[in-house]
Amino acid sequence: MSENNYDASSIGVLEGMDRIRKKPGMYIGNVSDGSALHHLIWEVVDNSVDEHLAGYCKTIQVKIHADGSCSVEDDGRGIPVGNHPDKGISAATLVLTELHAGGKFNNNSYATSAGTHGVGVTAVNAVSEYLELDIWREGGHFHQDFKRGEWDVPLAKVSDSDKRGTKVRFKPDLEIFSSVTEFSRDIVEKRLRQMAFLNSGLRIVFHDERTTSEPQEFFYEDGALAYVRYLNEGKNTLHTPFFFKGEYETTIDERPAKIQVECAMQWTDSYHEVCAAHTNNTHQTNGGTHVTGMRAALTRTINKYAQANTLLKETKNQPLSGEDVREGLTVVISLRHPHPSYKDQPKTELVVQDAKTAVDAIVSEKLAQFLEENPKVAKVIVERGVLAAQARAAAARARELVTRKGVLDISSLPGKLADCQERDPTKCELFIVEGDSAGGSAKQGRDRKTQAILPLRGKILNVERVRREKVLQNQEVGTLITALGAGIADTFDSEKCRYHKIVVMTDADVDGSHIRTLLLTFFARQMPLLLEKGYLYIAQPPLFGVKRGKKITYVKDEQGLAQHLIDAGTDGVTLLTASGPVDAAKLRALALDLHRANSLLEHHASRADPRVLGAMLRAGVRLDRDDFVGEAGEAKLRAAAEVAEKQVGAEVPDLLPLKVVVDDEPGVGRKRLILRARNGSGSRTVVDSDLFASSEVRELEAIYARARELGPTPWKLVDDKSRETPIAQVDALYRAIDERGRKGADIQRYKGLGEMSADQLWETTMNPSNRVLLKVRVDDVVAMDKALTLLMGDEVEPRRDFIEKNALNVRNLDI
Amino acid sequence: MVRPCPICERDALADRAENEFAPFCSKRCRLIDLGRWLDESYRIPAVEDDEVEDEGAPPTSNSGRDERTQ
Repeated sequence: MSENNYDASSIGVLEGMDRIRKKPGMYIGNVSDGSALHHLIWEVVDNSVDEHLAGYCKTIQVKIHADGSCSVEDDGRGIPVGNHPDKGISAATLVLTELHAGGKFNNNSYATSAGTHGVGVTAVNAVSEYLELDIWREGGHFHQDFKRGEWDVPLAKVSDSDKRGTKVRFKPDLEIFSSVTEFSRDIVEKRLRQMAFLNSGLRIVFHDERTTSEPQEFFYEDGALAYVRYLNEGKNTLHTPFFFKGEYETTIDERPAKIQVECAMQWTDSYHEVCAAHTNNTHQTNGGTHVTGMRAALTRTINKYAQANTLLKETKNQPLSGEDVREGLTVVISLRHPHPSYKDQPKTELVVQDAKTAVDAIVSEKLAQFLEENPKVAKVIVERGVLAAQARAAAARARELVTRKGVLDISSLPGKLADCQERDPTKCELFIVEGDSAGGSAKQGRDRKTQAILPLRGKILNVERVRREKVLQNQEVGTLITALGAGIADTFDSEKCRYHKIVVMTDADVDGSHIRTLLLTFFARQMPLLLEKGYLYIAQPPLFGVKRGKKITYVKDEQGLAQHLIDAGTDGVTLLTASGPVDAAKLRALALDLHRANSLLEHHASRADPRVLGAMLRAGVRLDRDDFVGEAGEAKLRAAAEVAEKQVGAEVPDLLPLKVVVDDEPGVGRKRLILRARNGSGSRTVVDSDLFASSEVRELEAIYARARELGPTPWKLVDDKSRETPIAQVDALYRAIDERGRKGADIQRYKGLGEMSADQLWETTMNPSNRVLLKVRVDDVVAMDKALTLLMGDEVEPRRDFIEKNALNVRNLDI
Repeated sequence: MVRPCPICERDALADRAENEFAPFCSKRCRLIDLGRWLDESYRIPAVEDDEVEDEGAPPTSNSGRDERTQ
């Protein structure tokens, strides 16, 4: 389009304008709520923006004056001042006084435009108490005054000028406007900023002269980008926004045309999609074809990328839905279309079909390129969508669970739950029992008045034929929720919990502890209030039963068994030493010490044979860090080796001879002592400074020092029937006591709850007068949650470590 | 006190007085977690107990049990 075409002859003329003042609502909207009032400014500004779109206007200045009027000045071409061929008045006057007179009806003058096509500025004029028009064009400054849309003096040249542009100053007429009669600074500012966002390179200066504030300037090189940043202010964004623009060549009415697309996108951690779609500067609140095109491209492109980069494991390779992909997305689309069409007059929805094709094509290409070039951002975006997909699926499953017929109605529970008779929750206990056979014993053994039994069993899955995994089945989780009666998620109400003691009862083995971990984690995550209220307990079934005659003693673990055997082994026994008799109580303490010493020695078994290191320590060898340095150190170590050899000879002669090597510990600058026992024994002991500095060796030194205080061996054990057992060396004392404790005892190890009879289970674990329950605290579960994460993780090593250490051993939980 | 949310690993207030969705950061993450329980996504390795002593039990006994539960 050439500039010359925009002259008086290009203004079309249509009838009528007085109607506006009589029915302003039809033309400019509601005159009492402020919307029409501000619309006046938009109409005038739109005209200037159209000049910008046509390539002629760089700056628009908007002022709100002290008298309540507003002026809009641009540096465009200026409205044509020549007389219109048919009307005999200037084109500019015509534009301001004739409805539907304007340059925008034929696309020669404006390829794209936003304005309301002639109604606008005429309407502004009609409802203004006064309007002053200034035009700089054709070497002159032209001026005309209007009052309520009418003029007495035609447009006339005031002076010579090189300037170009148009300025319209108007004051809304209070005969027309009521209630809201003053411009709102906030509304104007927001709109002008938006116009600047949508028109990259256009400078808009806004000055509210009613206040002392400074003029504000809005200017953006890449408007959509700045717009997205603005919309996301104060939000937690996941990446820097990305921005692109493109042109789509098409034909409209058999003529080549260009559709321009500017787009910016940024994801935040919010759950909503914010989509600001604009066509030729008007905002489509209901979207339309450009939004459809963007969405289609977005979903397709992101899924394609995610699948190509195997990022959809969590959704089992199911593609993400458009909704998932767009969760948290803020997107700005700004479209320039030469011939847009809308569903409705306020242009809230774009319907022109080629907009969809254009936006789809451009977004697909640019987004794919962006994802390839920014794999980190791409991953964040995909993960965001995956979480959204999971949340959607989770919501559906949770809904299904809650609405499943009678899931919250306890009477509908399948036969699994053996409920108690009592209805007062404070007196009721629920035992969650692992395994069906144990569940059977528990059902038989319980006090059916107050104790309910819910058998659960972890389902075992074979994963890839290599790994076997346990899982709480969906229906078991459901049963548990139903049995508790307190609901779940939004419907959860701890007041409705039917039991104030919930006891997790699992086998005392690794599998049992894993199931327990799963259960407690479930409670901690989904029903933390029950933990806080202290409703959650862990049962402690015995690991051993020691039968003497008809009497059975139950002990909960290895340590308990050792103590029990020491108690029995020291009962009525006296130790005779050179310095006098040691009574049973003191002997018992000594035996416990020695048992403890044995487990401390086991701690270092991988680098030091417990028999050799033990002998060395029992003989009283002590080594400080300095004893491992230099020639003096070597001498010390050799002396220690001699003492050790002598003691080993007394305790375990089979290990002799010891081969002694003293060398330099690699990379440390200290000596170390290596003791190898007789060929074929496989016994090797490395004595270095770290070993002797360890807390275990320190404790061992103290224990054996206490034993040596009793005087030198040999000692004698004498029982109440005066039978004597000689004790040649300290290490033999514990063995002798342990052996004595086992005499006449039938020790049974319970591999699972199922191995106990109903009576045994009741006596040991369920009977409130005998049992010891561990209360689970919130802190315990924090540790447990970490453990679970580790257990479920992908890395095999930490999992194996975890299983070996069995860190969740129930004994680690404090009461 | 702040801990990572078990689902999204973003910071989540641990105290339920301040955060009703603790230990999660949000209602949404709590829901995703519930979904994973119901989806049987939370699995832990199963340990064969004392395989030596278990020789009498054929290794297929577990899968046999599973079939009955399904």
